[in-house]
Amino acid sequence: MAAIELDGVTKRFGDVTAVTDLDLTVPEGEVFGFLGPNGAGKSTTINMLLDFVRPTAGEVRVLGLDAGRESVAVRRRTGVLPEGYDVYHRLTGRKHVEFATRSKEVEADPDAVLERVGIADAADRKAGGYSKGMRQRLILGMALVGDPDLLILDEPSSGLDPGGAREMRDIVREEADRGTTVFFSSHVLGQVEAVCDRVGIMREGELVAEDSIDGLRDAVEGGERLVITVDAASEDDLDAVRTLDGVSEAATDGGTVTVTCDADAKTAVIGALEGEGVTVNDFQTEETSLEDLFLAYTEGEGVSA
Amino acid sequence: MTWTAVARKDFEDAIRSRWVAVLSVLFVLLVSAAAYLVRPAPGQTISSNQVLNSLFVRDALVTTLVPLIALIVAYNAVVGERESGSLKLLLSLPHSRADVVFGKVLGRAGAIAAPIGVGFLLPAAILLVVPAVNFDAASYIGYTLLTAVLGVVFVSIAVGFSTAASSSRRAVAGAVGIYFLFVPLWGAVRFPLQFYLGAGGPSWLPLTGQEVLRMLRLVNPTGSFKIVSNAFMQGALYTDGDVNMQVSATLMLLVWILVPPLLGLLWFQEADL
Repeated sequence: MAAIELDGVTKRFGDVTAVTDLDLTVPEGEVFGFLGPNGAGKSTTINMLLDFVRPTAGEVRVLGLDAGRESVAVRRRTGVLPEGYDVYHRLTGRKHVEFATRSKEVEADPDAVLERVGIADAADRKAGGYSKGMRQRLILGMALVGDPDLLILDEPSSGLDPGGAREMRDIVREEADRGTTVFFSSHVLGQVEAVCDRVGIMREGELVAEDSIDGLRDAVEGGERLVITVDAASEDDLDAVRTLDGVSEAATDGGTVTVTCDADAKTAVIGALEGEGVTVNDFQTEETSLEDLFLAYTEGEGVSA
Repeated sequence: MTWTAVARKDFEDAIRSRWVAVLSVLFVLLVSAAAYLVRPAPGQTISSNQVLNSLFVRDALVTTLVPLIALIVAYNAVVGERESGSLKLLLSLPHSRADVVFGKVLGRAGAIAAPIGVGFLLPAAILLVVPAVNFDAASYIGYTLLTAVLGVVFVSIAVGFSTAASSSRRAVAGAVGIYFLFVPLWGAVRFPLQFYLGAGGPSWLPLTGQEVLRMLRLVNPTGSFKIVSNAFMQGALYTDGDVNMQVSATLMLLVWILVPPLLGLLWFQEADL
């Protein structure tokens, strides 16, 4: 069964369309990374899963339930780390966890929960005095109360130092091993590569890609990047390169030419440059990084996924 | 139904607010001052009811100050969480929006009842040991509870506004408007009306002037409160005097507790956070 199912979902705020005709299915037990730059519609989508906002059109189902009409039942089985939240400044960390426990009508030991997210020593301090990272851990702790079937984490690593981000990933992995479906959004790619089974990339309210990391890498035109050191190259020289088969992008700052191309087009690229009278001093190839991939999807044009 | 969890959280949060401590002290001082003002002359005794019935307690403290304080305690209940973002935390837990609204009413009701309770009961300890005062415990506790009910009425009105308001500034405006309408303005309008309607009123009205005045008294929650509390202090509640009026006033208070949050909820149900 699908843990999350969006079918033709559109959300408009006044005349601004935040999400356009979104279809997305996340099967049970999967760790799904929801990527995209800020403002791409990630949080709006998550807010629709939680019934914080209602879709203008389309159907949203979470854990097989209607996200609007059966929202309380959805949230009973879902742990959430929302974006743009605040804690209760006058209440301690322990009180927060107790509130989550009572709200979910389950039994849980607040100390054990806070221990797991690494802030047990701050249990009796008021959350108003917590750092951003500690608040993030506290909310994650509240989300984990009651062993949810689904975890929805909106930008979980924001505010965390690298160590904290790693612990966050470890917790995501532990939960996934327990069989929990994890749906988390991020604009930082590093975390995604490490923990996700599959990713979806949002751009301007639309899902522009949905695949495994490897699958996405293959889908981006030109798996490699060629960096060529030359004596001098002009835009005219590059036009000859751009017309070659298998070349998706070429750019130069005068002394270096950067070409994104298929692996078997490399020789032709160098040949074309030399044909234009450019002296090639050196060249090296780099595999397209996930960062390039991400930028290609969210900003670039040479994508045919 | 998890609204009790919301109420408990909200009470624990609100009770730690500086407001509640300040208000408790204020109430203690004011009730003590009232007790001092109506103190018995040497050689005489008074009843504790006389303290409560004094203009200072009944009109100045209870029906003027309690509504104001209740509005202050509750105007930010929902919209404040909405603006800070803690509402997202609250609603990411399995609460319905109705749980949130009625949990808030209950939580803030507790937060207003606490300073009222402390404010009346601490001075009671003094009244108890002064030999010249006959302490009527039942009336005293009953009056304290009725005062708390009046506080809850205004908490409900403020929570209703707070639920429907899109910003805390609007919630403040609503609370201030309600206060001026029901406290100073109502009296200012009723007074001249009394002369006009008391004489019979316009003939096109299907009601007599007296009936209109009675309705005006009832509609204002502080008016309803006075009807109920006066009857209670005379030991006549629901038994003697204008019983119909007392029952209507009681129902009116109940309506004021339930309807504003319900209206707020109607709007809140449809809102995007």
